[in-house]
Amino acid sequence: MTRKRREALAAYAFLAPDVLGLLVFVALPMLLAFAVAFYKVDGFGGYQFVGLGNYRLMADDAQLLDSLRITGIYVLAFVPLAFLVSLGLALLVRDHFRGIGWVRASFFLPNVISLVVVGLVWQFLLVDKQGAVSGLLRPFGLEDVSLLGTPQLALATYILISVWFVMGYQMLVFLAGLKDIPADLEDAARVDGAGRWQRFRYVVWPLLRPTSFFVLVNSTIGAVTGLQAFDLVFVLTRGGPARSTSTVVFYIYEQAFTFNNVGYAAALTTLVVGLLVLCTGLMFGLTRGGRFSED
Amino acid sequence: MSVTRRTVLQGALGAFAAGSLLSACGNDAGGNGKDLSFWNFYGPADDKNPQSTWFGEITQRWNANNDVKVNLRYIPGKEYLNGSALQTAFQSGQGPDIFLISPGDFLRYYNGGVLQDLTPHLSEEAKADYIPGVLDTRMVDGKIFGLPMEVEPLALYYGHAAFEKAGLSEADVPKTWDQLLAVADKLTGTNKYGVLFETLPGYYQNFTWYPFMWMGDGEAVKDGKVAFDSAAAVQALKFWQDTVKGKMAPRKPLGDGGGDIGANLCSGAVAMQQSGIWSVSDLNAKFKKFEYGLTPLPLPAGGKAVTDMGGWAFVANAKGKNPEAAAKFCAWALASTDAEGVERQRQWNTVVKTNLPPRKSVQAAADKAGSFAQGALSTFAKDIVPTGKSEPRYPPEVYKAVSDAIQACQLDSADPGKAAADAAQRIDAYLKTYQGAPII
Repeated sequence: MTRKRREALAAYAFLAPDVLGLLVFVALPMLLAFAVAFYKVDGFGGYQFVGLGNYRLMADDAQLLDSLRITGIYVLAFVPLAFLVSLGLALLVRDHFRGIGWVRASFFLPNVISLVVVGLVWQFLLVDKQGAVSGLLRPFGLEDVSLLGTPQLALATYILISVWFVMGYQMLVFLAGLKDIPADLEDAARVDGAGRWQRFRYVVWPLLRPTSFFVLVNSTIGAVTGLQAFDLVFVLTRGGPARSTSTVVFYIYEQAFTFNNVGYAAALTTLVVGLLVLCTGLMFGLTRGGRFSED
Repeated sequence: MSVTRRTVLQGALGAFAAGSLLSACGNDAGGNGKDLSFWNFYGPADDKNPQSTWFGEITQRWNANNDVKVNLRYIPGKEYLNGSALQTAFQSGQGPDIFLISPGDFLRYYNGGVLQDLTPHLSEEAKADYIPGVLDTRMVDGKIFGLPMEVEPLALYYGHAAFEKAGLSEADVPKTWDQLLAVADKLTGTNKYGVLFETLPGYYQNFTWYPFMWMGDGEAVKDGKVAFDSAAAVQALKFWQDTVKGKMAPRKPLGDGGGDIGANLCSGAVAMQQSGIWSVSDLNAKFKKFEYGLTPLPLPAGGKAVTDMGGWAFVANAKGKNPEAAAKFCAWALASTDAEGVERQRQWNTVVKTNLPPRKSVQAAADKAGSFAQGALSTFAKDIVPTGKSEPRYPPEVYKAVSDAIQACQLDSADPGKAAADAAQRIDAYLKTYQGAPII
């Protein structure tokens, strides 16, 4: 066996557990969901083939449209906000200063906590009148404001908590991207008289394209299907108040586990996957997949 | 053989079909039928609390005298009530042999064909021992599919200290909705609210709201037809809305919300809180120094006194490993009429937990022991229980329409008339295609 072949085999061996995991826990369930979408499932083992019946139901489902609208608002607010905050933090902690390790760790800390715990902590902080946040708002005469109990505020609150949760992870990704930028390029720009903003605009920002693309796609997928799109909603508001935080993933959960409409939930899942593929494709097209212009 | 996209898809569909076939086989839980699983949200709990111990003792007692053994599986209350563990298990054909369900969730399981008929295992004496009406929501065509282990009426609890601090006395305890709004307003302050009704959407919120609709003689479904678009439903929706709109009730309570009396009433965060008879045992065990009173739920003008009687039931899985043995266990645990069986029930309903016993003999034993002679349980027995009405069994689609109406009015300033009409329309559309056991 040639050395090249041995190396290839070793690479495949290292990849095998991940590929196997992806096949068993991602690809196979996706295929099964696609198949189940053609059945009416009663939740107790009964399957009845209905063809495209589950997809036809979507047309008259006002609550589905509502949950898609809520998810859309969430994505449009969360993705750019998380992007800007994380990039800002990464720039802030890019250069070495005394205590930088602690600062970076404190920004990253929320990300290592279980989302359920995050939800419980924020629920405690945001309790009406008795919560710490109410205490902070009291001097401004806003102690009666219920951030999680008011439909007009709950989604915004939930977006801010999500940003707080992911900012550490995205900051690290940006930091890795920033570290990859050769220092001599910035130095050259500095010598040429470029100010801080100009160096960022004409040197750093263009070279961050691949990182930005990864963060954008990853963040969008996370916002639609990720744990924060379900776990946080479930713990904080259970889709309330008055359905104002009922994201599409939460709605799918409701269909599957409250109404036992497993077939319809599977059809909704394929719809969401389709929308995500579309969104990712759109981002890929608009940013040329994060490639540099000279690629 | 080369692996193509087509063979992968065929394999996946084959696996799916195999799963479907396995599920369709009925007795899909596998095993030898000698070990039954009993999913519940009481025990065995780590803290070995009295309720957990009661569950442990009854299974030990059964296992000592029977070849078929019952094994408890504890699922935390939150996960059992609002999670997906039970549903996922049934969907994958691995449902437990014995489990607990509330009346509000009965139809989903009955219509799914997984509830075993318990009637053959109940003696005539046992059936006659149940308080009239208490089995109704667990019966279909005269057959009993669930045995209630308790009856849980609702009341309004209030803290003595909060009343005293606001210059109010027992005489001010509200008897009407108008009085409640006025008193709650006086009890509301910088750090506290006057009253608490559940705000989190779910079966529990609906359960606690129904009595206010019933007070005006309203129903969500009556004789199989929608009845939600009524003055009674509208005024009940408006009443809960008024408490939030007037800023005398929280939109987001502490702890586990409306059912958590320790986190809200005992902490002083609210002065009055709607809760059930189970809170008496919580208060006795964990908040001994907290002084409180309780009163029947206040009435609207011209309304009739009524409370909602909840309570969980043991049920056996008809598609489980050994449905007959599971049914026999349920009947033995809750319906035995011998001295030991009555004592077992008395312990659950008045010692380790506080409920109204669902059986006459158990009530008599509890009375003999003086359990309902004084204090909070006496108020329940004398003033509240006689006005009780069983928690209705609605399919999830009906429950959800009502839930959305409550949420929209209570927390989103929706017009109660429109919310009731919208919900009625949804319920009506669903009932036109509904095929299942009667909705009562």
